[in-house]
Amino acid sequence: MKELVNYLSSPMYSFTGTLVLFYFMIQKVHVVGSKKFAKWATLFLAVTGAWFMSDDVFRSIITTPDNIPIIILIFSVLFFTWFSLYKAVENDKRIDQGLEPIEGTPENREKVWAWPNLVYTELFVIIAGTIFLIAWAIVFKAPLEEPANPTWAPNPAKAPWYFLGLQEMLVYFDPWMAGVVLPGIILVGLIALPFIDFNPKGNGYYCFKERKFAISMFLFGWLALWVFLILIGTFLRGPNWTFYGPFEYWDFHKVVAENNINLSEIMWIKLFNTKVPGNIFVREIFGIIFTLVYFVFSVPLITKFWGQKFLDKMGTIRYYILVFLILSMALLPLKMYLRWFFTLKYIVAMPEFELNL
Amino acid sequence: MKLEPGMAYNTKKLNKVFAVLSIIFLFVVIWVVLDDYIRPWKAIQVKAMKIKQEVLNKQLKELAADIKPEEVKKLNALIVEGEKKVAENSKEIKKLKDEVAGLKTNIYAQKLLNGDYNAQVGALTFDYDHTVQHGDEAKAAKILTKLNGYKVQYDDGKEKLKVFEAKLKDTNEKIAKLELAQTGVKKQLEDYTAKQTRLELALSQTEVNPVWLLRNSPFVDFLDPTIKIQQIVVTNAADDRYFQKVPKVDRCTTCHVFIDQAGYETQANPYKTHPKIDTLAVGLNSPHPMKDFGCTSCHGGEGHRVNDFNAVAHTPQNEEQKKEWQEKYHWHEPHKIPQPMFKLSQTEASCVKCHTGQFYVPQADKLNKGRRLIAEYGCYNCHKIKGWEGLPKSGPILTKISSKISKDFAKNWIWSPRVFNPKSRMPTFFGQANNSKPEFMNKNVAEVNAIVEYIWAKSKDYQPVYKYNVGNADNGKALIGSIGCIGCHQVEGIEESFKSGTKFGPHLTGLGSKLDPNWLVTWLKKPTHYNPDSRMPSLRLTDGEANDIATYLLASKNEKFKNLKFAPLDKKIRDELLVGYLSQFDLKSTAEEKVAKMSDHEKTMELGSRSIGKYGCYSCHNIDGFDPDRAPIGPELTNEGSKPETQFGFGIEKIPHTREAWIWHHLEKPSRWDAGAPKAFSDLNRMPNFYLAKEEIDHMVIAILGQVSDYVPLQGQRRMIGGEEVASKAFKTLAKYNCQGCHKIDGVGGEILAAYEDKNEGPPQLMQQGFRTQTEWLNYFLTNVHPIRPWLKVRMPSFPFTSAERNDVISYFQGNAHQQTYVDLPDTVEWEPGEREGAIKLFNGLACTSCHAGGFTKDTPTAPNLHNAKQRLRPDWVEAWLANPQEFVPGTVMPSFWEGGVSTDTEVFGGDAKKQIRALRKYVQEVGVNGYPAPLPKNQ
Repeated sequence: MKELVNYLSSPMYSFTGTLVLFYFMIQKVHVVGSKKFAKWATLFLAVTGAWFMSDDVFRSIITTPDNIPIIILIFSVLFFTWFSLYKAVENDKRIDQGLEPIEGTPENREKVWAWPNLVYTELFVIIAGTIFLIAWAIVFKAPLEEPANPTWAPNPAKAPWYFLGLQEMLVYFDPWMAGVVLPGIILVGLIALPFIDFNPKGNGYYCFKERKFAISMFLFGWLALWVFLILIGTFLRGPNWTFYGPFEYWDFHKVVAENNINLSEIMWIKLFNTKVPGNIFVREIFGIIFTLVYFVFSVPLITKFWGQKFLDKMGTIRYYILVFLILSMALLPLKMYLRWFFTLKYIVAMPEFELNL
Repeated sequence: MKLEPGMAYNTKKLNKVFAVLSIIFLFVVIWVVLDDYIRPWKAIQVKAMKIKQEVLNKQLKELAADIKPEEVKKLNALIVEGEKKVAENSKEIKKLKDEVAGLKTNIYAQKLLNGDYNAQVGALTFDYDHTVQHGDEAKAAKILTKLNGYKVQYDDGKEKLKVFEAKLKDTNEKIAKLELAQTGVKKQLEDYTAKQTRLELALSQTEVNPVWLLRNSPFVDFLDPTIKIQQIVVTNAADDRYFQKVPKVDRCTTCHVFIDQAGYETQANPYKTHPKIDTLAVGLNSPHPMKDFGCTSCHGGEGHRVNDFNAVAHTPQNEEQKKEWQEKYHWHEPHKIPQPMFKLSQTEASCVKCHTGQFYVPQADKLNKGRRLIAEYGCYNCHKIKGWEGLPKSGPILTKISSKISKDFAKNWIWSPRVFNPKSRMPTFFGQANNSKPEFMNKNVAEVNAIVEYIWAKSKDYQPVYKYNVGNADNGKALIGSIGCIGCHQVEGIEESFKSGTKFGPHLTGLGSKLDPNWLVTWLKKPTHYNPDSRMPSLRLTDGEANDIATYLLASKNEKFKNLKFAPLDKKIRDELLVGYLSQFDLKSTAEEKVAKMSDHEKTMELGSRSIGKYGCYSCHNIDGFDPDRAPIGPELTNEGSKPETQFGFGIEKIPHTREAWIWHHLEKPSRWDAGAPKAFSDLNRMPNFYLAKEEIDHMVIAILGQVSDYVPLQGQRRMIGGEEVASKAFKTLAKYNCQGCHKIDGVGGEILAAYEDKNEGPPQLMQQGFRTQTEWLNYFLTNVHPIRPWLKVRMPSFPFTSAERNDVISYFQGNAHQQTYVDLPDTVEWEPGEREGAIKLFNGLACTSCHAGGFTKDTPTAPNLHNAKQRLRPDWVEAWLANPQEFVPGTVMPSFWEGGVSTDTEVFGGDAKKQIRALRKYVQEVGVNGYPAPLPKNQ
């Protein structure tokens, strides 16, 4: 059984599983957003969690002081996601019945004093937070390592926990892409969201149906592409950034066969059985074509089959920015699957220009 | 419940929440303060106080036995008596004391005044100069008047002060005189009980009283706590923090409270005194005082950490202690610490990093044994170790081997040396756990065949010059046991040779099944004939002696081994192996073509040469066709002790994943790492098996673990003073010829002496040899051996020293004894009046010639000929030797006539030991003859 869990935890299966679960969640929001579901899910998590914790290796990974924030992250993300969906489902039902959302009922629109209703309770939170932080600091000692040695980096060398998703992206992308371009797009995209958003609904109250697209897109990026990658990077990546199952001992000498090849090599050598051309643009022509198709020529198709109504409502500039952001986001799962299925290293590999995709 | 308007919550409920949170917060704050305050080391220091109390109380009790109450009583009675006497003059004393008080007030007041006058003088001097400089003559004149006034006052004040002080001194003296009857006895009592008072004072400091509690209470304890972290900053050693090398900071004494204090030897750790406090470390007079070397310089570990027991990286010395620690301290393997503490039994490994260039480190017996073993087994041949360069190759030369043994013998020998000679140091390459598959065995057989064919093809012709005649084996046996062979060789059947435990030369067994008799006789008579660079010396054997010894040695046979038939060369396998080699950088088809073009002989030679290269035979043996300086096949061991543990491959072996365990198991059975997935023939581990004893491995592991890359600042390194550096380099020559196998040199070596019941019958011990003999004589002696102690059966060999080697030997002795090369030697002895007569009287009186008979009487001498002393010995040494012979040769039969500087003869020179010794030395010089004795004939 543990063997099976180890096997299914490998990024390919667990990521696919995450995608399936995500799809289920979006499709069956009213099921997920119910108290019944929460109870069963809690029970399931408690039982599997207890079983996981009975394993020495898993327990030693989980209880490393470094990893405490991630445990907190898992539970808070699960709870708040469920909570928002629960609230949204409630409101959706009311809106379907022609009522206003709960936040919009007259008793909830009544105004109250900032003192003590707000300021006093904020003080509570400050005190409780301080208590929590002090207790944490006492119980778990600072996870110090050996003195820094420029010639002998720790293995695995892990980024701070909140960056582990980015570090996991390094597995699939060139450092320039994973470290600079994609995070840049994430930041710019988040800043741009309020300007792209044209939907006036959902302001000040929970809802799902009225903002299905916006919420799904955000949750996909947040849960599947950010939180999930942090979990992988924290718990399932050991020495040499090799994958280790949750019950697998981090043996320093584990060897895995990962020989990744570029698209150009796949095309020229494997497919055409000829030598790779010397001119880099000729060599990378397939990758360049692919990229152009992906980012440019696909746009009219997307518009035709899906985006026409967005285009009509949003106007040209906002629409194309939205499409670009979605395509960029989709690049990550796309690249992950290409890697797993074709051991693809880079679509476009131009190390001569430090330009790899 | 109805809420007030404008309120989302009930205020009373909010207040309750606030109260609960505040109380929790209070507790958490108390918790954090206590967590910060309560430290494991504090508990240890508090317990240490109790232990100190016990020890002091015990010492006080012991002391109480020494202090006699009647003595104290007597002194106290005297004091009372004195008080009475003093009381008679009490009026006068009171008057005088009042006077003293008045004088002291005057002095105090006068000092205040003088200070003011002095300040005014200084300020006005500046004002005056300043005014004159600006040309204001009138103002300057005014200032000058004022200044002069103060100067006068200041001078007066000084005079007054002197008068007061003189008076005070006078009065005090008067008082002292009047009180003398009492103070004298009081002082006596104080002296008598001084030690007790000191101990009581120390005891009072271990008391837990309110002041102690206040000083160590939370928050206040930043001021002046008694319970605190102790630390030693060690500039002699450094912690390499990669960006910066920082002095070591050792806080070990925070818990090891009494490590530097005698009197706690029987306490349990951490309260124990260092077991070698005076002889080795920690103590102020030891070679490594704690304030200069700290603790972790030698023991390793993280000395600056005091969080808890585990933070320091303590290493248990055995499984038992490990269990004990696990229970007591929750001990676990150190986490993220590259160099944990050394096991107690391996601490000597630390010596290496500072004692660079010293082959033998004093007091480090295990380390020295390990290094000796590395030298004996010749690890340095295949593994480069910094500092071990330039040592001779361990194995015999193979350039003329065909005249010495047969081909079949060579093949069987290479295959399995231990079948012929179980004590051989030639390691076993074949038939190991990793290459015992039939497929591999067949390939190994082909390799061994090719190696031997190659060596034989390259071997030069050699004709022994002496002919073997059967001699007397019994006499041969006696000779081997007595003339010194056993200083280097263990010989089968010779019991004495096993007592010494030497391993320098080969273990001699079964030679009758191995050697050509003529070769053996020639080798015994003149080893340099076969090998001009041989380390085997000539013992100046006569033909008869050589034949007797050869007869004895050849009688030992190993017919079983001789009759072994080695499988012939399988040409198919040979070609296959060759193709394997050639196709490494070529297509397989091309390699096959190349091999096909070669002749049969060429193929065998090619495989032989490549196999010698593969197994590294050339590192230990001289083989024609191989550059003697060719890089060895083993990895360098210079920094093996710092190699990260993750770089050791443990394969499927179930052993602890530590550096030490890996090295240990590697030495025990090198082939073990090939267990697991099948490996290709060419990828097998080539480290051969030396079949080392467990104890040997233990020692070698210490020596290898010591090879660390730690940075040691210059001031921390054991620096060579005087001629030590030259001596340390020159030691390689002594090691090359195994001088210390026979001679105990400055306390080291002399293994052969174990075979002698009376050590004086063995080779002489060389203590401060550079101080003992004259350089010219030693130089002459090394190439022209002549008898000094004719009664000894053991012979000083005639070594084939080059002039450079002679230089080394001499400079080693000079440097080690901190001596100049040449000393003043008077042409004629100059006597003081009456000195010569005294000398002769002593010479006869002490019966020097009863032992030093040579040239004086016709008796058989049992001590060196004194006539040769003039040219051989240094005058200063002769005097030092006469004063205390045991210092130079412990156990010598030379009597000590001047023990402790007291002469046994009280008549001559009034018993003045120094004068007597000097006179005798002069006499020995006077009777000395010029020129050196004729050398013993060498074998031509």
